Amino acid sequence: MRRAPGKLGRAINRGRWLKGAVGPDDNDSRYLLDPHKRGVPGIEKMRRFADDDEVDLAIVGAGAGGSTLAQRLARRGWRIVILESGPFWDPDRDWVSDEAGAHKIYWNEPRVISGEDPVELGKNNSGHGVGGSMVHFAGFAPRFHPSDFRTRSLDGVGADWPIAYEDLKPHYEKVEAELPVSGQHWPWGDPHSYPYTAHPVSAGAELTLKGAREVGVEFRVGPVAIPNGAFGNRPHCIYRGFCLQGCKVNAKASPLITHVPDALAHGVEVRADSHVTRITTGDAGKVTGVSYMKDGRERFQKAAAVAVAGYSIESPRLLLLSADRRNPDGLGNANDQVGRYAMVQGAPQVAGRFPERVSMYKAPPPEICSEQFYETDPDRGFARGFALQTVGPQPIAWAEHVLADGHWGLAMREYMRDYNHWYTIGVLNELLPHAENRVTLADDEPDRFGNPVAHFSYSQSQNDRDNIAWSKGVMRDILEAAGAQDILTIDRYAHLVGGCRMGRTPEDSVVDSDHRVWGFENLFVTDGSVLPTQGSANPALTIMALASRLAERLGDKRLQAGSARKACAFA
Amino acid sequence: MSSYDDFRNPNHLPNHRRGRAAANPFDLPRQRRGKTPQMHGRYPDYDCLEQADHWDELTRKTVEGRLEPVTGYEFFSEEEVRTLEPFCDTIMAQGDEPKVPVLGMVDRKLAAGQLDGYRYENMPSDYETWRRVARGLDHTAREQGAEGFADLSAGDQVEICERFGEGELSGAEWDTMSITNAWGVVMRMIISQFYSHPWAWNEIGYGGPSYPRGYMRLGVGQREPYGKPEAMEPDPVSEVRKKGLP
Repeated sequence: MRRAPGKLGRAINRGRWLKGAVGPDDNDSRYLLDPHKRGVPGIEKMRRFADDDEVDLAIVGAGAGGSTLAQRLARRGWRIVILESGPFWDPDRDWVSDEAGAHKIYWNEPRVISGEDPVELGKNNSGHGVGGSMVHFAGFAPRFHPSDFRTRSLDGVGADWPIAYEDLKPHYEKVEAELPVSGQHWPWGDPHSYPYTAHPVSAGAELTLKGAREVGVEFRVGPVAIPNGAFGNRPHCIYRGFCLQGCKVNAKASPLITHVPDALAHGVEVRADSHVTRITTGDAGKVTGVSYMKDGRERFQKAAAVAVAGYSIESPRLLLLSADRRNPDGLGNANDQVGRYAMVQGAPQVAGRFPERVSMYKAPPPEICSEQFYETDPDRGFARGFALQTVGPQPIAWAEHVLADGHWGLAMREYMRDYNHWYTIGVLNELLPHAENRVTLADDEPDRFGNPVAHFSYSQSQNDRDNIAWSKGVMRDILEAAGAQDILTIDRYAHLVGGCRMGRTPEDSVVDSDHRVWGFENLFVTDGSVLPTQGSANPALTIMALASRLAERLGDKRLQAGSARKACAFA
Repeated sequence: MSSYDDFRNPNHLPNHRRGRAAANPFDLPRQRRGKTPQMHGRYPDYDCLEQADHWDELTRKTVEGRLEPVTGYEFFSEEEVRTLEPFCDTIMAQGDEPKVPVLGMVDRKLAAGQLDGYRYENMPSDYETWRRVARGLDHTAREQGAEGFADLSAGDQVEICERFGEGELSGAEWDTMSITNAWGVVMRMIISQFYSHPWAWNEIGYGGPSYPRGYMRLGVGQREPYGKPEAMEPDPVSEVRKKGLP
């Protein structure tokens, strides 16, 4: 194994890994969990803050961004409340090992979609409850490539980030050790190793590897956020294949088990079932706290600073809903940037039929990945690229796939009966950011609290269409070389990022390189919505790494208690 | 040649057949253990419910709850049920008993307000879409001289569903929304109900919840110890009975 660099590398070199206990020094979540129960211990003893007690930071949303930020800053002594719209999940009590039964872990509140290529939301990309959408993410945890941070300079498309890969690299390493990530040595982007070795793969991934070798496509096993081996009190994966339905085992990482336990141990309050409806402003350039609905009552949490971490639809929506006299178009929206450049990745999937039984519902859907096509190749006729990954649809998702190929009635029943013979691979296409792909308010459609729901309009560019079409050809070639006897294809999207993008000037972005909303001293956005481009990588690891970096930048700025002085911390 | 080897060949799949037409499923074996919708299937000796003792309590209750018969409708009116039941049966090719009560399951979901978290701008709510589809199907049936969709022959019902799937229906309700999106809304709900039912899992040989036990045989051509082989030939005993032979 190539030596991992940085702090983790040093820890490994000290020989700790030989004892079977690779893990971070500054996050004890894995030990704080109960080995025999899945729920987070200690919720009843969690610290509670009064509404009128001015906390150092109120975070909106307990997903990848919010939980990581809270865990880091709590260790630096910050007094923090996370307000989460959904429940505080207990996997034993709340989740079922069943596809249709997983409905409640998605954001099912109404939203409106439009554009030439509307993006379906809900179970595909939107989480609900403590842990956020990582509760139902597949588990792939790749890093972005260094090129992702400079696509405008390198390829003339997308945008350059105000930070570079090197700014995130130490945080990638930290988060990979905390989830932790399992996989083979990674040869693409900035080559690196993973703290845990790769998992065994299923029948379909074996066949895919065989086909890929025939057509000259290189894959690696991983990177997945599921430890292969002992990791504190977290059990080993049992290969039941329900990663997208919430891991009842506690094997697959989500902030619920990787950051929230340590955050609670350091005095964070996670206030679940608390839906934030607006951010309140005070003197020019300052926010004073958040209004939220809990148990049918409107309440107000006072805070010295607010970090919004509601993801690409709800974060822009909250900034827009918080419009007031001083900010008539919404917070941070003086330059009409909030909600713009919202992105999804193209995620077509191609399924192949094999003579042997393959049973694609076994083993975690995320198994193997290739980033061979990640970078721009002028011969392909479009900018940027895509990643190849495996997916293992459960029966309902497989029926959706069969339907997408035009089969229903007897034909669907026939393809469904053939389920055990199929395997599915997918891609993530880097679709480019476009200003008109945007989250706005649907003024004619109120949510259950009477506030307009989000409206997400999305259309692809020609570069996007060319990328998707080309990648489908590669998937086909691989499956055919693997011996597939029939092929079924579905067009779809995956992931959400952008909408409050990070930039160098207020004219073309919503937050600066420290996630601070332009025009405000103490308002931050710390989730996937700040990404200016999306690469072809699943965004979870990058969202956590960004929050980890922000925590490092903010951490030293906290002053002693006393709101007047605290305010200076963010100046 | 063993029965398993027959399924090495893909010729039974619609894309390999003339006009992408599916083969007659009644040529498949009859289910011998447990139930499948219409009792035909590929795994005549497999009943996933026999594994229910290995499932966690919460999941077991959720799955077994789907076996309870649907008694009465909350969301749909009697008239809508009369139209939508044959529609759902056509979509899922459920001509005979036993049937997965798809419309009843959809009704429960709509009555409980369990929607999917998005609506196309050019569409009414999913609730309203279902009602308009019911009225639209009857409208199209009346254009063909029938009183309603339910009064059409099975062949005519299939033909209308084909036109629905291709976005080719028009008039009355159909002109008030995107037909393609309406097809998406109702199909999404129908197939997600049908394939959440353990009888459908028996038909396709799906392992089911598998928690806390998990899977142990991941390799090519392997099945779990409780898994059953695929069978293509009809069961001789039931065939003889069916044909009324001595």
